Amino acid sequence: MPAQVYLDYQSAKPVDPRVVDAMRPWFTEHFGNPSSLHTDGDEATEALEMSREKVARFIGANKDEIIFTSGATESNNLAIMGYVTRNRGRGNHIVIAESEHISTHNIAKAVEKQGFKVSKVGVDQYGRVSVEKLRRKVIDATIIVSIGWASSEIGTIQPMQEIADALHGRGIALHSDAVAAEGLVSIDMRKVPVDLLTISSNDIYGPKGIGALYVRKSINIAPIMPGGGQERGLRSGSENMPAIVGMAAAAQIMASEMPQEMPRLAQYRDRLIDGVLGRIPRSYLNGHPKERLPNNAHFRFEAIEGESLLLSLKDKGIAVSTGSACSSKTLEPSHTLISCGLLHEEAHGSLEFTFGRWSKSTDVDRVLEVLPGVVERLRSMSPLYQKEVKL
Amino acid sequence: MKSTSYSEKTLDHFRNPRNVGTLEGPDVAVGKVGNPVCGDLMYMYIRVKDDRIADIKFQTFGCGSAIATSSMTTELVLGMTLDEAMKVTRTDVADALQGLPPIKMHCSNLAADALHDAIKSWREGRRGETPEPPKVGEIGSSCGIPVSSPPAIEGADVLLGKGVYRNVEDPKAFIDKRVLIIDRGKPSVDIALELTKHTGRVIFMSPTKEPSSKDDPRTGLKRSDVKVIYEAEPLAVLGEGEVEKVRVHDLNENDEYDLFVDALVVLEQAGN
Repeated sequence: MPAQVYLDYQSAKPVDPRVVDAMRPWFTEHFGNPSSLHTDGDEATEALEMSREKVARFIGANKDEIIFTSGATESNNLAIMGYVTRNRGRGNHIVIAESEHISTHNIAKAVEKQGFKVSKVGVDQYGRVSVEKLRRKVIDATIIVSIGWASSEIGTIQPMQEIADALHGRGIALHSDAVAAEGLVSIDMRKVPVDLLTISSNDIYGPKGIGALYVRKSINIAPIMPGGGQERGLRSGSENMPAIVGMAAAAQIMASEMPQEMPRLAQYRDRLIDGVLGRIPRSYLNGHPKERLPNNAHFRFEAIEGESLLLSLKDKGIAVSTGSACSSKTLEPSHTLISCGLLHEEAHGSLEFTFGRWSKSTDVDRVLEVLPGVVERLRSMSPLYQKEVKL
Repeated sequence: MKSTSYSEKTLDHFRNPRNVGTLEGPDVAVGKVGNPVCGDLMYMYIRVKDDRIADIKFQTFGCGSAIATSSMTTELVLGMTLDEAMKVTRTDVADALQGLPPIKMHCSNLAADALHDAIKSWREGRRGETPEPPKVGEIGSSCGIPVSSPPAIEGADVLLGKGVYRNVEDPKAFIDKRVLIIDRGKPSVDIALELTKHTGRVIFMSPTKEPSSKDDPRTGLKRSDVKVIYEAEPLAVLGEGEVEKVRVHDLNENDEYDLFVDALVVLEQAGN
């Protein structure tokens, strides 16, 4: 498990050793293909359906509403692309939130190329979608709305119940990418009428490379990848049995541990937020002050740049993330931060801490011990901060 | 290669930067390059004696390589003649650091540029000047406030009353809104300060540089909760039926970007 002070659980999580144990027999001992009709195949079929049941239970769904995929990106593509392809006769308009992760924006771009129109609903300064604004974006031609349950970056949780209520009865499908929220907020498909839901395995301490799409019974989608017709014809390809068994084990563990885990992480989060804002002048919290994931603390520091912060913390054995352009592949700052109304220079100075299963109270102590000095050192070099002090 | 795959030498200069600080005096010249919008801003201070760089300091806002290249540049050129220093290129700086990730090559470009800018200042006789704030008042009145009407903002008429305001009668209408106020002299500054009592996000945008005189009403924004953007102007206000964002022209970089806001205040009457 993480040796250093690992506070970047939103980027990647270790696989829980209990999950690894559950997976192990499915590499060598049980290697059957669920499509085979002999004993090995039957064994695999049984494990596949039992895993489906466990994943379904985790989100309050029925077993036959779960489609296994290769992960969140594929689930999002299958949900949005698969839905518009199947339902294009009903309209040519889709709506996403401005604050969505760049991957959703890119799927929307691909949908646009298919002749659809895309509207983007803005968010407030905390990254929250306004239901009023969403209502105004929805038109007769709208067939699907896609809004992430929570932001993996700034931690803001969307009012999914209100959003679902606003769309109810209008014949519009609602998709939500829930990878940031799963395991951190309670998600129950019996309560919130979301039609398509993306979940991934690594986000609940399962293996990478496996995920699922929940498809409500009344919703029809088309496959995006033709093939042998596995997963009700919606996702072809021989089932990745070790990973599927692993995801199911991870979901089961998460479901039973969430009630204790959520308040534990929230306590670390709150202590870190109070400590940082209290000790470091001109530091600010990004994202919503209350409606935020229990494991997420996201800050910006005036007059310094995020990659410098990240490197300095790396030297002290602390792993974090930043939304700064300087650490991205494109040299563009985080789209989510910009959609909240931040200036580029503010987005550059952002730093994200996310707690997880192996986080300890001493991790918070260590950050609070080290961060003020790191910020001060970088500010002492920054021409932007000098100006502040002089005047 | 990852954008943060730095060499040991680069990390050393990031961890222990040489020659951080400022210089003052009649034999000092300053060079500046970059823009906080892009995530990099550097100042290079040189003290010149007998046509040689006798002392050098830098200040940098930027990523790891921006800091390391600034530090490396100062170490490379200390003691050089001005002609020699002018010949130092971004490749020289990157090589001295045992290479940089390709995506970070522009950072080393900046450090060399800041140095060359400082030498240019020296040669043009701009010595003993503090770098900031630069001269103001290029546009309009004595305190840098534009008196003439600002250029028309595309879309402002369509969205008038739907997030675009020509005057502010009830500050309570702005509760929890992200407000962008365009510089129209003292009245606009007063409104910006007033609105900070009602919302946490007030941005003030001025086409001119930062004020240098205490008489400039904009100095009142320092130490306030107003976020100020200098050298920028709004080109267009965008939104379907309500203000969603403003397209901004960054005059310093001659670049454009979108700023997400809920309200835009452009006062009818400018004043001082």
